[in-house]
Amino acid sequence: MVEEYKIGDMVEKIKILKQTATELKRISGGIQAVDRNVDRILASIKMLEINISDVAGIL
Amino acid sequence: MRNTEKYWNPILETLPREKLQRLQLKKLQNIFKWAYENSPFYHSLYHNAGLEPGDIKTLDDIRKVPKTEKSMLRVAQGIKPYPYGNILSVPIEQVTEYRQTSGTTGQPVYHPETWQDWEWSAESWAYVLYAHSYRDYDRVFMPFGYSIYIAFWAGHYAAEKVGCEVVPGGVLDTEARILKMKELGATAFMATPTYILGMADVARNKLGLDPAKDLHIKKITSAGESGASIPATRKRMEEAWRAKVYDHAGATEIGHWGYECEAQCGLHVNEAFHLVEIEEIGTGASITNPGKSGSMVITTFDRLAHPCIRFDSKDIIEWSPIEKCECGRTFRLLKGGIIGRADDITKVKGVLLAPTAIEEVVRSIPELGDEYEAIVTKKGDIDDITLKVEIIPDFKRNVDAIEQKLAQQLRLKTNLRYNLEFHDYGTLPRYDVKAKRFKDLRPKE
Repeated sequence: MVEEYKIGDMVEKIKILKQTATELKRISGGIQAVDRNVDRILASIKMLEINISDVAGIL
Repeated sequence: MRNTEKYWNPILETLPREKLQRLQLKKLQNIFKWAYENSPFYHSLYHNAGLEPGDIKTLDDIRKVPKTEKSMLRVAQGIKPYPYGNILSVPIEQVTEYRQTSGTTGQPVYHPETWQDWEWSAESWAYVLYAHSYRDYDRVFMPFGYSIYIAFWAGHYAAEKVGCEVVPGGVLDTEARILKMKELGATAFMATPTYILGMADVARNKLGLDPAKDLHIKKITSAGESGASIPATRKRMEEAWRAKVYDHAGATEIGHWGYECEAQCGLHVNEAFHLVEIEEIGTGASITNPGKSGSMVITTFDRLAHPCIRFDSKDIIEWSPIEKCECGRTFRLLKGGIIGRADDITKVKGVLLAPTAIEEVVRSIPELGDEYEAIVTKKGDIDDITLKVEIIPDFKRNVDAIEQKLAQQLRLKTNLRYNLEFHDYGTLPRYDVKAKRFKDLRPKE
């Protein structure tokens, strides 16, 4: 079943999403409207990690 | 059917057992390390037991880890930072949600969630709802109070996550909720078994509506009590609403750890989010095979603010003999959901009694109403148990035959004789959320 999904590609995109969100927060200059929304994005990215990235190395 | 139509996450939910266990070990190591390094409570607990993160090398090593239980959480929350105590594993500024346990078994436990943990809660509930066949075409009605208790809060957000349209029925009373469900053509809702039956009762007797015909509910998620895994109670609920009723198990401190699938042959443990152990009551010996029930000890992965590691939940569970569920999920099954609570199982006249057995008998007799009350007292040195039931008006003439049937079934299922009291329909107490139908009034020794 696992073979039908592009798990490696998904892991890579999740990594890029996380790097992008983290970088956005780093350059926000402390604007709360950015930081707090990035925190929410990062929480969603964590769910992608739980669902995909964390298991990728085990498959 | 494509796998993405069947499973919320086809990768995790069908992972072969050996790989699932490797994932669990990795996650166990992570949460142990996190708690050790970030929670003074856990650090001290493990340090005193001579354990460090590197000591968890296999899944079996979990048996070395000290258990926790609610009483420990209550003590810990008396320590700073208020109100969560030294279990808190993140800076308190990161806490975005407060909830507390219902306090059914004593002082409530205060539970913090960061935004990520809250997202995690909705995610684990999404596994539940997808297995219960909630989809983006569903209009889900939420008939609960949106209160300080966790209840169905995460169910609300999970239904949104799954893509459903969610209707919050918070401040409405039961009649208004039913009428709104009818008006909007709601297709699903979530409630305790007590309230699922209670709403049907109100619809029929106060509104003159038959929920099976006049409403459009197709699926109901039952939580908070064992009812949906008690066959007689499930049958009553499914017939009352002409809907599939699915069981789900969770707790504030633990998260949402178990769910039924469309095969309805037991509760799947979400083993990608939790590690469940069963221990023999009294000895603490590990139960790994079907055929013997014990107390659940559970570890939650990836929920960080208030880690839950080897928590003795006092839920009585038993592994199912079914190794491969027809749904295709590889998450292990529990037979009969939560069988009872270790706190509730008590000796009456020297016989071990699980109150769920009384419910199974009462609700298997169609001439009786949904409500009942069992009261244990002591007369001198001897235990005495009284069971109050309601008789449905149409059957009042047959009370002798019903009494005989009830007494026989109770004797068969619980090995006890009861004083039976028959009450008029609608006169026993009704409950909106969790019911307290078993009352042990014996003096505490």
